[in-house]
Amino acid sequence: MDLASQQRKLLGLFKSTYQIHADDDEYIQTVAQSKHLQEAKTNIFLWRVYVLERTCALTFRLLKRLNLLEKTISAFIMECNISPFRETQAPAFLESLSNHDDRLIASVSQFELALLKIKQGDPGSYVVPWTVEPSAVLYSLANDIPLKEKAPEGAYKTVISGDFPFDFVVRNVD
Amino acid sequence: MAATATYADRQTKTGVVIGATYEGRDPALLERMLPLVDYIEVTLETISEMEDGELRLSDSVMGELKNLGNAVQTIVHGVSLSIGSHEGWSPMYLRLLDDFVEQVDVAWHSEHLGYTKVDGQHLGIMLAMPRTEEALDMLCKRVNAIQERYRLPFLLENIVHVVPDCPADYSDAAFLNALADRTGCGLILDVYNLECDAHNHGFDISAFLNELQFAHVRELHVACGVEHNGLLLDVHSQRTRSSTVELAQRVIRRSPGGIKVVVYEFMPEAIPGLGHTAIAEELARLREAFTD
Repeated sequence: MDLASQQRKLLGLFKSTYQIHADDDEYIQTVAQSKHLQEAKTNIFLWRVYVLERTCALTFRLLKRLNLLEKTISAFIMECNISPFRETQAPAFLESLSNHDDRLIASVSQFELALLKIKQGDPGSYVVPWTVEPSAVLYSLANDIPLKEKAPEGAYKTVISGDFPFDFVVRNVD
Repeated sequence: MAATATYADRQTKTGVVIGATYEGRDPALLERMLPLVDYIEVTLETISEMEDGELRLSDSVMGELKNLGNAVQTIVHGVSLSIGSHEGWSPMYLRLLDDFVEQVDVAWHSEHLGYTKVDGQHLGIMLAMPRTEEALDMLCKRVNAIQERYRLPFLLENIVHVVPDCPADYSDAAFLNALADRTGCGLILDVYNLECDAHNHGFDISAFLNELQFAHVRELHVACGVEHNGLLLDVHSQRTRSSTVELAQRVIRRSPGGIKVVVYEFMPEAIPGLGHTAIAEELARLREAFTD
């Protein structure tokens, strides 16, 4: 088997997009059935956890709180072409969640992505809609403490910009 | 930060000095490390930031590195060049390296002997090269091109085998020997990676060391990860084990005068767990083990 074929088949095994055939090279069959491949996939997952826990703590903690962390990061690994450059991973992860069906996950990830951009010197201003009052939610996530009581429902928005003392303000929409 | 000593001031009995990973943005850690190390290993993938949609070297980290002056020497250790990808290496990495070497004096630069992408798709992990004539020919051309481009010593590192080894034309040591012989590149021997391969795949370290030409080895890496499901993981999150230090000492004894530096590697995500004090203690321990 030439280098290109071997690398393409190994990529397929890692991305779970390649199905082994009976006439496949013996080596590829050995890798496909090995515990090492499964463990390597776990390793990839743990690398993403290490990086995302540090670089997008708010969204990471929310997903953990909702017991969605493993499922969400696994889907991210499968669906996104994740660069080895650490700084690209959090934006890509947050972007992938910005239209999430769960409105709270969508709002927190949009908020954190905007905050990352502002902290990197982006002069723009970003508006993120919320269906609950965001202050208490953000406080509990930033400090990694439980929410004392359910956040009040309603139409709110956060405006994220370097012009504000803490880079954002919360506004009631009405 | 004021530099208090220069690397040229320090002499050791073995001729070997200590280096450590530093990824910037942590001046308190740097201050603890500087009296203990002679080399700082920088990884461009970690010190790069997004700016206007493009990856660039962080101005603040570059400022820190420029301020080091003669306190230490800087070595660049890449992760994403992907020198072994069949379709070609990563131009992005070389663009950042171009930028880096224009701003900071680099003693040498290095990469891992493997690949992280295939047809532009990132694997999310690094895979070792098959040790075939085809792979060797391709790697030699690329190493020669890199040496021509930068006119700096270039080193390649043995990486862990995360999946079973494939049928090969060369043994591990013979492949490294041939690559270095044909191109003149240097080698980094990651001692912890050898231990991982021995633990995970039954790799024969003694046979490997008996066959390896030590004249090519300029740098050693020591690190420690964790064991998971019976396999040793290369995650660089712990202080080194005594077995790793002893193996590195064994290698140094077989290569008098060749090996310049032993680098203790830890990933930035491990720093909060390890703590600055433990990192400084580890560096002091390694200094004692390797330089006296």
